Amino acid sequence: MELSPVAVNTKRIDTVKKRNRNGLTPLEHEREKWGYLFLSPWLLGFLLFTLLPILATLVFSMTDYSPVNAEATTFVGFSNFATMLTDDKMWISLWVTIRYAVLAIPVSFIFGLVLALLVNSKHLVGKDVFRTLFYMPSMIPVVAGALVWAGVMNTQTGWINVTLKTVGITGPDWLGEVEWIYPALVLIGLWGLGNLMLTLLAGMQGVPNELYEAAVIDGASGWRQFRHITLPMISPVVFYNMTLMLIGAFKYFDLAYVLKNGTGGPSDATLFYNLNLYKNAFTYNLMGYASALAWVLFLIILILTILLFVTSGRWVYYAAEVRK
Amino acid sequence: MNKRLNLVITALMLFGILLTACSSTTELPQETIVPDATEAAVEPANESEITPTPTTVSVGGNCTGTPVRWYIGLGAGGNPEEIEKETAFLEKFNDKYGDQYCLTMDVVQNATAYDVLKTQIASGDVPDIVGPVGVRGLWSFEGAWLDLTELMEKNNYDSSDFNPALLDFYKLGPMGQVGIPFAVYPSALWYNKDLFDEAGLAYPPHKFGDLYEGKTWDFAALRDIAIILTVDNTGKTPADDGFDPTNIVQFGYDAMWTDVRGKWTFFGAGSFNDNGKAVMPDVWREAAHWYYDGMWTDYFIPNDNYVNSDYLTQGNTFNSGHVAMAPIHTWYTCCAGNVPNWDVAAIPSYDGTITAKLHADTFGILKGTKNPDASFAVLSLMLGEFAPDLIAVYGAFPARGSLQTAALDTMKANFPNVDLDVFVQGLNYPDNPNHESGMPNFLKASDTYTAFGSNYQTAGDLDLDAEIDALIAQLQDVFDETK
Repeated sequence: MELSPVAVNTKRIDTVKKRNRNGLTPLEHEREKWGYLFLSPWLLGFLLFTLLPILATLVFSMTDYSPVNAEATTFVGFSNFATMLTDDKMWISLWVTIRYAVLAIPVSFIFGLVLALLVNSKHLVGKDVFRTLFYMPSMIPVVAGALVWAGVMNTQTGWINVTLKTVGITGPDWLGEVEWIYPALVLIGLWGLGNLMLTLLAGMQGVPNELYEAAVIDGASGWRQFRHITLPMISPVVFYNMTLMLIGAFKYFDLAYVLKNGTGGPSDATLFYNLNLYKNAFTYNLMGYASALAWVLFLIILILTILLFVTSGRWVYYAAEVRK
Repeated sequence: MNKRLNLVITALMLFGILLTACSSTTELPQETIVPDATEAAVEPANESEITPTPTTVSVGGNCTGTPVRWYIGLGAGGNPEEIEKETAFLEKFNDKYGDQYCLTMDVVQNATAYDVLKTQIASGDVPDIVGPVGVRGLWSFEGAWLDLTELMEKNNYDSSDFNPALLDFYKLGPMGQVGIPFAVYPSALWYNKDLFDEAGLAYPPHKFGDLYEGKTWDFAALRDIAIILTVDNTGKTPADDGFDPTNIVQFGYDAMWTDVRGKWTFFGAGSFNDNGKAVMPDVWREAAHWYYDGMWTDYFIPNDNYVNSDYLTQGNTFNSGHVAMAPIHTWYTCCAGNVPNWDVAAIPSYDGTITAKLHADTFGILKGTKNPDASFAVLSLMLGEFAPDLIAVYGAFPARGSLQTAALDTMKANFPNVDLDVFVQGLNYPDNPNHESGMPNFLKASDTYTAFGSNYQTAGDLDLDAEIDALIAQLQDVFDETK
């Protein structure tokens, strides 16, 4: 039975009447309530254990708060931020972090990409075995891995130098010389590239086969297929990994701390920004100053991430996106 | 309204995701504390004896008196065997005094104890009594300790059983009297008799001030025999042509488990701090050169790479059996189990002066305690009536004069082949100022010279005098930050 225009209008008015002040029907309202109920553990956790401490650090950053002498805390305004400008260690740590990032990000990415290409190759026998083997190190806790690598890179008993010695080469002091410490850290970092390899592999497997078939028919070489099909098609995954690697480089801490006992040696070469922050907070008890350092780090990472997003329009290709 | 709420939640989630990405994905490792005083006593004798130590153990007594909480972990006390003894001690204490004071204890593994205590203080959950703790531990919590002077006067505390100098040892600058002596750990020169026998060398003298083979027993004499005791994998010593410093299999000497202040103080007591002015005592500069040459030119001292190698058991070098001599404290009886024939000898002199560095432990009360009177009463009992029990728990050498003879007899029964009287002699040559003594901006200053020490033991091509001058300049900057 067809409704008359008047009846339709009346029904619409009834429905509108039933909507609450947020414009939701009772059913939608009910669903919304359940939605928030399911979200509430995360929301509560975030508010209590993340947002509140973050806000606390903002307050601390304007005080000289020390956890062992809290009653002596005074408000110091922006002087912690001003101190940073003249703090040599802060600038050294920032420079150390940038140097490491400039070396580690491209090397790690290229290595991860090569690994992903390798385990994606149709010519490789036992792909699953290799994928598992390459991924396995990333399951090992960083601290445990660092202790193992400290042994491996020991100049006297580490197997790298022992192996080099058997062919007449005196190996470098991997962890004791400024010239070698960054390559050593990057080398250790390569060990745990399983996640990068896996996401790039997933991206590669999502590239439609028809594109390669068409390219082969057109006579495209393997390199041209990679350059003009694979890379553009996995560019969102590359972008995602670049963002994480950039953040990871600026929050670098664990390996440097464990390998060098938190000393920042040799000659401050491993005094990463986060290590300097940690030392100020937990070694010197300068929690106020450390909070200021943390906020500056957050701002640096935020700006770099925004820059990455801004440039992404030029090199990241989303298949479903309509370009204007 | 609904849109706004959704917007806020979306913003929160995005913010959360960004922060999660920025946060560490692994648990932060705890800071490694340079073993000093009783800290090293928690080291197991060898790797196979390692037993997982609980991070935190809380034990409460069945008692009705005023609650007093005892925090253990800044020094000794975290080993499973010690926890058993501490628990027995606690029960004994509460059995007798439980109606007046209810003593409970928190035992925290040394690696995390500093951070846990900081957290407890910051959150207002302040323990009452802390210890055993050494001088470094006390300085690490500068400003958090209660000055006991007033409570000692108020309670007419009898301190006549202590050497007055030892009582003054715990008057830490502006903090006042922050501890009452509990235990002392004199040092001596530990030596591996088998390595001496193998080299055909006479053992070093056991009496402080005695000669060695007709010559003064000083650091020059020690260097001479340490070079003979150092051999590479072909059996050559550093004095032989063709000695290979990259393949050393046995070293003559190592001042292990201590920082540069601890290494240099054997040449004469000193301090980086002269009333707020950063200085390098001349005798320390000479010691610094002696030690540096020992590592990088004479090769009888292992450098950092050797120390951290598996061959030298990653730090416990004397226990590896490949180091002939090491000056260490009495607490090292815990950790030399792999060396079957060791003994102790006199610390050599330098420029006519003998200095046997001293470690000492105490118990302190935190400022934040809710029951200072009850805490002091319990502390007095722990270090008085119950002192023998507590000494037995930690295998320490008592600070109370009246308990020292009995304690020495017990140690002799445990180590019948060791000349323990050497340690007693060592008590006569303490380093004053102590190598762990305070400095302005103590934590940062410690970190500064520790970084220097790391470089010192890692790089063999330093212009040492220039590096030392740079260290002093850095220390001055650090000192000045507190002005």
